[in-house]
Amino acid sequence: MSLLSVENLRVTFPSDQGPVEVVRGLSFELGRERLGIVGESGSGKSMTGRAVMGLIASPGQVTADKLAFDGTDLRDMSESALRKLRGARMSMILQDPKFSLNPVIRIGAQIEEAMAVHGALTRSQRCARMLDALDAVRIDDPARVARLYPHEVSGGMGQRVMIAMMVVMEPALMIADEPTSALDVSVRGQVLDILDDLVKRRGMGLMLISHDLNMVARWCDRILVMYQGAIVEEIAAGQLYAATHPYTRGLVASLPRIDESRDRLPVLDRTAL
Amino acid sequence: MISVRNLTVSFGTTQVLHDVSLDVAKGESFALVGESGSGKSTILKALGGQLTSWGGELDIIDAPQGAGSKLALARKVQMVFQDPYGSLHPRRTIDDTLNEPLIIHGEQGRDKRVLDMLDAVGLSRRFRFRLPHQLSGGQRQRVAIARALMLDPPVLLLDEPTSALDVSVQAEILNLLKSLREEKGLTFLLVTHDLPVVSFLCDRLAILRAGRIEETTDVATLRAGQFSSAYGQELYQRSVDG
Repeated sequence: MSLLSVENLRVTFPSDQGPVEVVRGLSFELGRERLGIVGESGSGKSMTGRAVMGLIASPGQVTADKLAFDGTDLRDMSESALRKLRGARMSMILQDPKFSLNPVIRIGAQIEEAMAVHGALTRSQRCARMLDALDAVRIDDPARVARLYPHEVSGGMGQRVMIAMMVVMEPALMIADEPTSALDVSVRGQVLDILDDLVKRRGMGLMLISHDLNMVARWCDRILVMYQGAIVEEIAAGQLYAATHPYTRGLVASLPRIDESRDRLPVLDRTAL
Repeated sequence: MISVRNLTVSFGTTQVLHDVSLDVAKGESFALVGESGSGKSTILKALGGQLTSWGGELDIIDAPQGAGSKLALARKVQMVFQDPYGSLHPRRTIDDTLNEPLIIHGEQGRDKRVLDMLDAVGLSRRFRFRLPHQLSGGQRQRVAIARALMLDPPVLLLDEPTSALDVSVQAEILNLLKSLREEKGLTFLLVTHDLPVVSFLCDRLAILRAGRIEETTDVATLRAGQFSSAYGQELYQRSVDG
């Protein structure tokens, strides 16, 4: 059975010109794998992640024919039941550690908070698990870092702290919304390695939302390409350059290459789509 | 055109640039590549007059930086920043933004120059009296480029001009920068961490690491992946492997 099963997911927001559908009838299945969701700004990729997590607040409306996580229907779940699930069995990593960590709480205490809310662990057990989690995201001196405040660590380390915060509960499903966009190339590799390790070792299902076509293509098992709230194409790993949909092909062509010889880059012709 | 000799910059007790030297010829497009914290943006800031103290010599168009007035510097060098959402005044119309440098410098014929510049950067004239929040990221970056070009400076400093944009929009802005450079004979100094962008837009590049230049080479070396420094090769591999 798949971990997450979505059928005909729709997200709508009201506007002055009537309701606007930002996700239009999305259907996909996620197993214990790395699923990439790519698209440009406004394609609805982040809204998809938020809808799955139950994080679309009013006036936004989420409807689906099916939205099941590990056999449980998420659609009619109460907010308190969802809250038990979120952070424990399904987690979300956000883009920018600068804005997503609480600036006035020490890193260690922030990581322990999820366990305090969800678990029945004692204080010393929580502390030990927290240090293990920091160690698992390859932070060299966990005891020292745990006492720091978020502004005292670099962006890459902050992002690893965010991941530690999510993995400490060993979720079955992780939604990573642009987890590496705010990071340097060198740190990006490390963060992806850590996520990869979690998928392989703990059998987690990962939804990686990104605008970075190349990164997703190299790294995910499967890619969904989104445009204007709908999936235009599904691509298997490494098959990015064999994509057939004009939108995907346009995107791939407009990327500069490292051995670039073209005088002008082809620009996506949106009117032809 | 631009000559940097033994530039050293310190913030407090931390030295962020160590004896950096580079030369950029007229009409050349030169890239500074490196990770965050390597000091690449600091070099741009020193050239753009945003730093108050530095050591070494900085020459732009045969005049030492810091000697002339700020007004004179603004006519020689202008900068385009990374984030088009943060670099435009949110409560000034595009028209205000583009007029401001002309007013400060007492230029005549402002109306026509604003319209010509909108045409040059490929923005429809109907955007002239809009506010930044009514524009997309790519359109805003066009406005930022237009503003930088209002005084016809021969040198543009570009600090990650496309890294905040979607790939299809990035292609449009890169094409625009390339065309403008050809039409106006501009000299570019570009800061980026994206090697494919360097390959498309630049002639030469310097690789920076921890405030020092590791290697200066031309773009053919980059395309072939033949860096002589180990660090250059490492950056290349990372870019190829993701």
